[in-house]
Amino acid sequence: MIACSALVLIGMAAAILHRDPFDKLISLSILIAGIFPFIVDRGYLDVAAATALIAPLSTIFILMVCRRENT
Amino acid sequence: MIAIYVCAGIAVYAAIRVILERNTMRKLPFLNVVSFAVTGIIALLLPHPITIAAAAAYFVGSTLESNAIASAWSGGIKK
Repeated sequence: MIACSALVLIGMAAAILHRDPFDKLISLSILIAGIFPFIVDRGYLDVAAATALIAPLSTIFILMVCRRENT
Repeated sequence: MIAIYVCAGIAVYAAIRVILERNTMRKLPFLNVVSFAVTGIIALLLPHPITIAAAAAYFVGSTLESNAIASAWSGGIKK
């Protein structure tokens, strides 16, 4: 659990400090990865499965916004 | 009980490597390592039959997410 807290804090600090939007998205996915063991630890397995399938959809919708311009 | 500690150590080490890496394309394999380690933590944390379904759902979702970031960063098909 301490490692998962460290994962959440590392993702938060990296999401604040980075400037490139793709680096911010990578840090955000680290943060979401740190959240899941806390959900599973309480026994909410259906909530964990639903969140694991919904969170990448939000990432894909943000990726539609910050697509590279110079292609 | 030692396996979950190993998974947690791998997750934190890969997250620190993601932070310290400068090139964005080199960050993405370490992001996959974080996803695999967190999948291991989820599968080992609770002795319940639905845990493997939650771990499989997280594995599919995180792989989809990192592949979407990688394909959007590389810019798609050049015309």
